[in-house]
Parts: sequence; C-alpha cells; structure tokens
Amino acid sequence: MSEPKKVSRRQFLNYTLTGLGGFMAAGMMAPMVRFAIDPVFKPSAAGEFTSVADVEELTNEPQRFEWEIEQVDGWYESKVQKSAWVYRNEDDEIVALSPVCTHLGCTVDWASNEEYPNQFFCPCHAGRYTKDGVNIPGTPPTAPLPVYESKVEEGMLYLGQEIAR
Amino acid sequence: MRWSQNDLDQFVDEKQYIDTLFIPLIPIHTSGDDKMVSSAFQHELNNLFSKIIEEQFKGRIVLAPTYNYIGENVENEKERLNQWIDSFSEQSFKYIFLFSFDRNWRKEEKELKGELLWFPGLRKGDLQSTETQSFVKEQAREIVEIIKETWE
Repeated sequence: MSEPKKVSRRQFLNYTLTGLGGFMAAGMMAPMVRFAIDPVFKPSAAGEFTSVADVEELTNEPQRFEWEIEQVDGWYESKVQKSAWVYRNEDDEIVALSPVCTHLGCTVDWASNEEYPNQFFCPCHAGRYTKDGVNIPGTPPTAPLPVYESKVEEGMLYLGQEIAR
Repeated sequence: MRWSQNDLDQFVDEKQYIDTLFIPLIPIHTSGDDKMVSSAFQHELNNLFSKIIEEQFKGRIVLAPTYNYIGENVENEKERLNQWIDSFSEQSFKYIFLFSFDRNWRKEEKELKGELLWFPGLRKGDLQSTETQSFVKEQAREIVEIIKETWE
C-alpha cells in the first residue's frame, strides 16, 4: 500500500506560481502572435461576390446590370461602378460579360449597330464581338470580352472577379 | 483617357485611335454666398458628367483638365479658351467638345473653336438622391448620342 501522495507547501507554491506565470505569458504572447500572422486572416478581395440581379429577370437577350464595389486605388478609396451584360445561352447557362472593350477600354453596347443586330458593338472604333463575347477578326479588338465569375444563390445572381480570356 | 500619366502614356502609343478632346468649362462665383455654393454644385455635377463620358468613351476621348474662370463675363474668356483649344490642337485632335452648364457660353458659341455641348444643369441638389441620379443618367445618354453622331 502506498501512502497517499502529499503535496508539500513548497511544491504547491511552485505549481501555482508556474501556472500563473504561464497564464500571464500566454496573455502577453497571444496578441503578438495574432499581430504577426494577421495577413493570413485578411479577407482577400478575390472571391468577393456582389448580388447583381434576380435570376428571373435574365433572358436570352443580353441585359445590362450595374452595381457598385469599394475599391482601394493607391491613395483613394472609392466606390466604383461596375456593369455587365448578362444573358442565358442555348444551354440555359448564365453568361456575364464585361462591357469594357479589349481594344482601348470604351464601353460596348449590345446590338446598337443596325448592321450587326446580334453582336456587341464598340462605338469608339467599331470593334465587334459575337454574342459569347469573342472578338470578330478584322475589327480593332484583339481579345474576347472578359467573363465574370458567377454563382446563383437563393434566386439571386452573384458576380465576382472578371477573368480575361 | 483621363489627364493622368498612365492614361496619357497610352494615348501617346495609340494616337491614331484617340482623336477627341473633352474640355469641361466650369465657372467659379465668389460674389454672394448662394452663388458661390451653387457654383460649387455646378462643379460637382460637371465632374460627374465628365467622368461618365470618359468611362463610356475611354478609348477615343481625352478628358482635358477643367477650364475654370471667374464670374459670368465669358466674353472676356473666349479668347483665352480659344488659345487653350489652339494649343491642344498641336496634338492630333480632330474633335474638340466644350462641356458646360453655363448658358452664357451660348452667346459666344459661334466664335469658339470647339463644339459647345451646353445643357441646363441643376441649380442645387443631392448627387446621391435617386432623382438626381436618373437626371444624370438621362442627360449623359443624350451627350453620348450627340458625340456618337458627331463622329459619324
């Protein structure tokens, strides 16, 4: 039979002091650690989605939708107006195209030129794109219109970053 | 294109495509408190329009620095304004638009070396309100159409 272990006064004080000291050290370290690894917790701008339209509104004809995002641009923090041409394609998938011409950055319109009723048309230098946003050879643009990342949640269309093609 | 280093760098490379200059004309009134406040609003409204037009036609229009002037006597201003236009013409601008809400310019329209786009603005208002925003959108669409027609 072993005797029940007795904790001496000296041991007891040692335990409590170590415990308390450790607790205080942890209290000091925690904010420092949090501070050091802070960038890891920053929400990244990529992957941010904004609700843009009700899915019910979308048709096979491209429609223009506008929304605002916050943007930090060097010194300035500002609201930036974004817009997209959105429609459903033959496979009933939602397509959201950036309206910014890949030539020099004007805003393109859908079917605004009578001669090309089924194309995107840039009023600046007559650049043209097919309905899926691919530039038509022989016109100034050299790349297709960028596509927005999109997702549908609870009947609303959300758009994110635009992806160059 | 805005009047900034980045945009003008691009302008220099792509001159053959960028043939239009857009100069906002904005009066500054200092006599009388009401007039001063209302001229500040004209200034905000004009900046907003210029920004919309610049975004729409980024690849063909250069937005010039604002032409500011004191008071209402634009008769004395037209010479200096024409000097501005002459000096910008050293670059290869084919079309020069002058954009203003100041109706005094209409009397001088014929003697100006650029095309005046005059619109009755708003006396005062709140740029965030929905009425002002729909007014701005409607007017901006008009200006866009006029510019497109001039190009054709």
